[in-house]
Amino acid sequence: MSSLELFSPTNLDDALKFIQHEDKDVAIIASGTDLIPRIRKRQVSPSVLVDISSFQNDLRYIRNSGGVVSLGALTTLTDVLESPLVRDRLSALHEAAELFGAPQVRNVATVGGNVCSAASSEDLIPVFMALGAQLKLVSAKGERTVPLEGFFKGKRATKMKPSEILAEVSFELPKGRSWTGFEKLGRRNMLILSLVSMALSLSMKEDLQTVSAARIAMNRVSERIPALAVKTQEFLLGRKVSSETIAQAQKVLASEIALTSDFRASGPYRTEVAQVYLKRLLLRCSGRIRGSA
Amino acid sequence: MTKRVVTINVNGTEHSVQVNPLDRLIDVLRDELGAKSVKEGCGTGDCGICAILVDGKLVNSCLMLAAQCDGRRVLTLEGLLGDPTMKRVQESFVVNNAAQCGFCTPAMLMASWDLARHSANPTTDEIKVAISGILCRCTGYYQIIDSVHQACGESKR
Repeated sequence: MSSLELFSPTNLDDALKFIQHEDKDVAIIASGTDLIPRIRKRQVSPSVLVDISSFQNDLRYIRNSGGVVSLGALTTLTDVLESPLVRDRLSALHEAAELFGAPQVRNVATVGGNVCSAASSEDLIPVFMALGAQLKLVSAKGERTVPLEGFFKGKRATKMKPSEILAEVSFELPKGRSWTGFEKLGRRNMLILSLVSMALSLSMKEDLQTVSAARIAMNRVSERIPALAVKTQEFLLGRKVSSETIAQAQKVLASEIALTSDFRASGPYRTEVAQVYLKRLLLRCSGRIRGSA
Repeated sequence: MTKRVVTINVNGTEHSVQVNPLDRLIDVLRDELGAKSVKEGCGTGDCGICAILVDGKLVNSCLMLAAQCDGRRVLTLEGLLGDPTMKRVQESFVVNNAAQCGFCTPAMLMASWDLARHSANPTTDEIKVAISGILCRCTGYYQIIDSVHQACGESKR
């Protein structure tokens, strides 16, 4: 820690050049709400911090171009919360932003930071995963786009290379007869680390009863890695959303997820909560689809 | 560690200070610039009592590197002592017994002031959201909510 240096490039190209050889122990810092306490607690000890917080003009935006929504990595949670597009069309993201940290944290914490921190409590990860998000990773050599699904290798570990920086999160805007929702549990309403969080993206057939697509994303689906509850999704496909279907889907969910026990909550308790959230989200999303059709 | 010089506008005055890469804004404000209203509680962003305004936005000063604040405008309670809205908020805190141990009070005042200047007559829910990031160890939240109501109500006149 004593040898830590801070490098503050003025543009993205300089930052990418600096990290291109992967020869330094680098951590990328945006606002630092997650990283600063972790460095101080010596949970991580990079030798160089590369400050990307000044690239606001390049990496801070919420766009909708032809039905594809893209969020720049430096978009703050307050930006997300105040976006009319997010409020009107991306309910899950709006709900997650409302419950995110507290105003002081939302004012600086970034979308990119939340994804790259890759902690099991990061709230935006299940939301983006339910939306089928893609990540744009840039490096000095160019850029590549990878799906968020499968991006995580474990707790705080991703498939991003040390020479890469996350530039953008993008996904298709849910179309007609679709709705999204988010639920999370903590010990109080604000400033919480989620014990359980779930995002659902639901689409219905023309009869407004039958599920045509469902994506259910949670943290800790398998070990501590955020993932989709694939079996539950498959079960719901083609079924009518009834109390019977929901009860059966809850059982499928409980059998497929492996929620971890730790000092914050036990695995069985988390599983119980996850089943309740599945019911809530299915009822809410299907209700909205019927109501808005 | 390589020190660097950053220029930060604190309460209207430009200060050039030498900082280490890991010095936080709270460290510089308290130790270099004498802004002792800024308190450190948890140091991890969980209690919010180090809350100040940077470029007009409420933030936790324990979660910001001073080296990243070059050219930014910082406002602490010290800079609002002559402000009429802050005076109203403070007097309302006194009348409603909203300061108990006092440790969270500077941050509560900053958050309340930030709400009061934007919102003429906030609802209880809006007040709760505005102060939601600040932990009152005495759990005297209702007195604080009453104070903000009173302070904002008066600002309507």
